[in-house]
Amino acid sequence: MAIARAIRQVGPGLLLAALALVWAFPSLWVLFATFWQAGHFTLVHLSQAWASAPFGGYALNTVEIVGGLFFAQALFGAAVGFVLARYQFPGKGLITALFLLQIVVPLYAVLIQEYRIIQGLHLLNSKLGIMLPYAVSGIGVLTFRQAFRAVPRELEEAARLDGYGTLGVVWHVYLPRAIPAALAFAVVSVTYHWTDFLWPLMVTNTDAARPIAVGLAMLAQASEAGLQWNLLAAATAVVVLPILVLFALYHRRILAAFTASYDW
Amino acid sequence: MVQESPLTPQVHPGPRGLPAPRWSQGSTGLAYAALALPAALVLAFVAWPSLSTLIHSLLALNARDEATGFAGLANYRALFAQPLFGHVLANTAWFTLAASTLSVLVALALAFLLARVRGDHPMARGLLVAIFSPTIIPTIAAANLWLYFLAPQIGLVDRLLRWLGLGGENWLGQPHSALAVMVALYLWKYAPYYALFLLAGMQAVPRNVLDALRLDDPRGALGFWRVLLPLLAPMLLFVTVLALLNAVETVDPIYVMTQGGPNNGTNLVMYYLYQLGFEFFAWGPAAALSALLMAVLSSLSALALIVLERRAFHWQ
Repeated sequence: MAIARAIRQVGPGLLLAALALVWAFPSLWVLFATFWQAGHFTLVHLSQAWASAPFGGYALNTVEIVGGLFFAQALFGAAVGFVLARYQFPGKGLITALFLLQIVVPLYAVLIQEYRIIQGLHLLNSKLGIMLPYAVSGIGVLTFRQAFRAVPRELEEAARLDGYGTLGVVWHVYLPRAIPAALAFAVVSVTYHWTDFLWPLMVTNTDAARPIAVGLAMLAQASEAGLQWNLLAAATAVVVLPILVLFALYHRRILAAFTASYDW
Repeated sequence: MVQESPLTPQVHPGPRGLPAPRWSQGSTGLAYAALALPAALVLAFVAWPSLSTLIHSLLALNARDEATGFAGLANYRALFAQPLFGHVLANTAWFTLAASTLSVLVALALAFLLARVRGDHPMARGLLVAIFSPTIIPTIAAANLWLYFLAPQIGLVDRLLRWLGLGGENWLGQPHSALAVMVALYLWKYAPYYALFLLAGMQAVPRNVLDALRLDDPRGALGFWRVLLPLLAPMLLFVTVLALLNAVETVDPIYVMTQGGPNNGTNLVMYYLYQLGFEFFAWGPAAALSALLMAVLSSLSALALIVLERRAFHWQ
């Protein structure tokens, strides 16, 4: 019995540790192949990889695209979410349906026509061309609407008695209370756009606007012939290390915000 | 518990029976101003391409994707007549079924395990980062790594198998094993992400329900089937639909690892759409396929949205 209880107590932990090893193996291998050679720590692969492709430019493009999109989606999400949560006006149902349409029709379902629109606007090979179709997120609107609905009206009344106008009320009462929701939405938005591939690939044809996922695919195709695996591993490390470190540092807050905002 | 549908405007009475605040009834000018730009963006970049996709599927299109007249259903007939289309559909069906079923089952197991091991122990934190690392790695980067692991002779998998006295298998060289590799990659990439949603769903199970279960039913089997699973059912449905959507949209690993091969064994519908248009310039069949994809993906998303709306957003 004692053994059975011991197994029940440490069993899940051990099983999870074994699974974690399987899941983390590729990431661990990247670190190993990048920083380890002939029994020594080395930065040679990393510097070679950095020199083999314009990673600085890719990284900057990625930050601009992912950060810009999150900023736009959060701004529009908060504005529309607030109006839908607190205003009555004719046509509200239709407006809500329009923003739900953004969730219902994924970009990849209408890929070709989306491409034609960006082409028609002469925005091919630009960051704006990658971003425009994603600028408004229906999930963002729903997330903020939900957070704003949960704010007690008494707080708003009090702020109005203190002389704040609508914008002041939004800034001082509503937005501070939507921060966990914004963080949870950031997880969804950033992981999606940071790993998005086919759309940025189609829209870009030079390094000027390419994000890092597309740049890495270009490098992989170029190096596949030469089988420079260490170089490719190091290039992959350049891409995944920053985000792994960020996640390792903040994962508790991220997971907590996620479970708090989507706890249905 | 008041159920409100997204389409019926609700009236908010003011607190303590006071008349509703003036601004929520009055200053709709501000509301319209805040809505104008985002609504215009959705109209231009979601509503218009959807309509345009449907229209183009009914037009005769030349090799430069220019409309030359009305085609009726000719594009659809041309699509069904493509020699590859049936093959791609079968691949996609197999892949979608296997990938989404397995990933949801593994996610459920992961969520239950994670729920038990949550804590501040550094071990537990290390486990969390390890398990969620595939979620934050771009599929392209992951596909590069898997390509290396699976390379014949030099790859880790082949070396490991040879050490065991097996091996010599070119995993990406045969249609069936290559498609199985795609399923495994999907499972590795998405199961932890879905587990995160299920874990969030489990937070909604009331604490006293869990405590009662622990007392009455320490082994947990009955409680799992009779209590936890029904409480998790809406989230499970949402995650399943998400898994189906992601499976049908899978394209990145195929682009990097197999280009649809060998012998079109991993050619899935999204990659085929890309090929039809941007490689074969068969814009007519591509437009028809795009319209069909839009119908399937939109129905799936709408289903997810209905679950989401009923559970999370109007069930207050």
